[in-house]
Amino acid sequence: MAREVISTGNELAARAAVDAGARFFGGYPITPSSEVMHEASDLLPKVGGKFIQMEDEIGGISVALGASMSGVKSFTATSGPGISLKAEQIGLGFIAEIPLVIVNVMRGGPSTGLPTRVSQADIGQAKYPTHGDFASITLCAGSLTECYTQTVRAFNLAEKYMTPVFMLLDETIGHMHGKAVLPDLEEVEANIVNRKRFDGDPKDYRPYDVPMDTPAVLNPMFEGYRYHITGLHHGPTGFPTEDAEQCEFNIERLVGKINRVAEQNDGLDDLPDYEEVLMDDAEVCIIAYGSIALGAFEAVHKLRAEGIKAGLFRPIMLWPSPAKKIKEIGERFGDKIMVTELNMGQYSEEIERIIKRNDFTRLLKANGRPIAPAEMVAKVKEMM
Amino acid sequence: MGEMKKIKNLKEFSTSADRFEGANLLCPGCAHSIIVREILNATNDDLVLSASTGCLEVCTAVYPYTSWDASWIHIGFENGSTAVAGAEAMHKALKRKGRLKQPDRDVKFVSFAGDGASYDIGFQWISGCMERGHNMMHVVLDNEVYANTGGQRSSSTPIGASATTSPAGRVSYGEKKNKKDMVAIMAAHGIPYSAQVAPNKWKDMVKKIQHGLSVDGPVFINAMSPCTTEWKFDPKDTMMISDLATDSLVFPLYEIIDGHKLNITYRPKNIVPVEEYLAAQGRFKHLFKDEYKHLIKEWQERVDKNWEMLQRREEAGV
Repeated sequence: MAREVISTGNELAARAAVDAGARFFGGYPITPSSEVMHEASDLLPKVGGKFIQMEDEIGGISVALGASMSGVKSFTATSGPGISLKAEQIGLGFIAEIPLVIVNVMRGGPSTGLPTRVSQADIGQAKYPTHGDFASITLCAGSLTECYTQTVRAFNLAEKYMTPVFMLLDETIGHMHGKAVLPDLEEVEANIVNRKRFDGDPKDYRPYDVPMDTPAVLNPMFEGYRYHITGLHHGPTGFPTEDAEQCEFNIERLVGKINRVAEQNDGLDDLPDYEEVLMDDAEVCIIAYGSIALGAFEAVHKLRAEGIKAGLFRPIMLWPSPAKKIKEIGERFGDKIMVTELNMGQYSEEIERIIKRNDFTRLLKANGRPIAPAEMVAKVKEMM
Repeated sequence: MGEMKKIKNLKEFSTSADRFEGANLLCPGCAHSIIVREILNATNDDLVLSASTGCLEVCTAVYPYTSWDASWIHIGFENGSTAVAGAEAMHKALKRKGRLKQPDRDVKFVSFAGDGASYDIGFQWISGCMERGHNMMHVVLDNEVYANTGGQRSSSTPIGASATTSPAGRVSYGEKKNKKDMVAIMAAHGIPYSAQVAPNKWKDMVKKIQHGLSVDGPVFINAMSPCTTEWKFDPKDTMMISDLATDSLVFPLYEIIDGHKLNITYRPKNIVPVEEYLAAQGRFKHLFKDEYKHLIKEWQERVDKNWEMLQRREEAGV
């Protein structure tokens, strides 16, 4: 039996984190994500977890990274300006291979931007949040249910690939209040992924001595295994190095353990990286993600009622993108594709990169307002 | 030396030309506007102001309107003080090079920020401004909570207050950490002037602001700003709450000269029990339950000890 709850996207993300095994939250208040921390402050102490409100965004991610290094599943939540402040430490998460879930409830930017208004303008930021070479994993919730299920997935991916994972919500879905159908707790718990550990002699513990395209093996602290974690390039034991061969291997591995693995295995796990709605007989394809996909869902049905066979393609894992499927769509629909998003075309660029064409339609908005289904319907009609 | 207003009485003060207009979106009963108005009205000099992200910033400059009849910068949550420091440094440089178009006009540099933007996220930035010695004033509108983002605790939130991230309930009495002593920390930079002010003691405030604006170097002002929404009291009671805070010595009024010499500037004739201050606010309501009553006694002891410390420092005169 699935669980039915009435909640908000932000609260569901916090609840999912706790159900996925997170026992630590460190963060800082910011609109429109603060309710994630409110809920975490309520839920974590009840399960023996720890909630700390820090003095700023940088403190928020740093304390969560520290907690995660100790072996506890940890998360933080913020919005775009907070990600900008956290950027340097996100980089530490990548190079030192610290699992961490970063919930970003997107609002209008740049800078302080539009704190109380919806946006999807942090898509590019989620791919390249900080300096240097690495590969990001980014999930995007398209419904209240997904605020829960995808957050659970984010924790599992973070542990499996030993990396920070972005869980993207937006202001609309974060503050949306309604019914969500959640999987049973037993089902969630049965599928929990925990980071690998080394059980041998502490003398032989070499956390970064792993093959190409595989993640580091970091044991929990306080168990007798010597730790050396650094933001510098490091060798097998974690100690700093400038050895050219080692540094090249490190970067190849950091990018490869996510991008190459996703490409070879058609995704990073067994869960769907996208959703297709009425795509079988579709003649025109709307591509949308996050809260905008809810409007696109309605637009597809309205178009069909008017005799236009529309379908919806909704990416869930934005980075690494479901490139194989997007390529197929590009070949199948030609120029009968409309990408709609709340930014100046950040994911459209990815579509363009994959299908290697620029002849598709874009319906974009960056003024803090959602895109109404009627606008999508009108735009699709122009295309036909 | 700039031009300070001569203000004799409250009527004269309240009817003097405004550089901060009453038309704004702050909550009815919010002390922010009262404090800002009192500060801006203390001088006739030109002003360069900043407001860090917070209630004051979001409620006073909503396009196409503004409450500010002065130059005004909003830059970020943490760095309003630093933006003002940059403007002040350039003003100084241009003056030195003789490139100011109106070299005789005095300019005052003031940054406003809440306790979240001062005690927490903006802490190191303000410390930098104080340490570098900019000729500026940083004013904290201290409402002891993140009022703009939903009432989360800050490091200014006092023990026992209920906030959204330190909620009081069955297992907790709310905030467990004591309020950070920012005036002491800022004074420790050796700055020429730091002080606490409260909106109900307007004469004390004007005197301190005018002194602060006349000294050469950085000035730190901590202004108590009762928050009707998060402290949970009736909007008409802002001044009553302020009176209770200053008269119970929960919020003592004093100044520190050159980082060491402390003067108490207000001594209540009748000291009010701390209990009365706590009882007047919803955020402390739970403290009056039997299981938490000991915290009220501890509150009184802390306030007594602090008052004694302040008096001894003043007596020492060093």
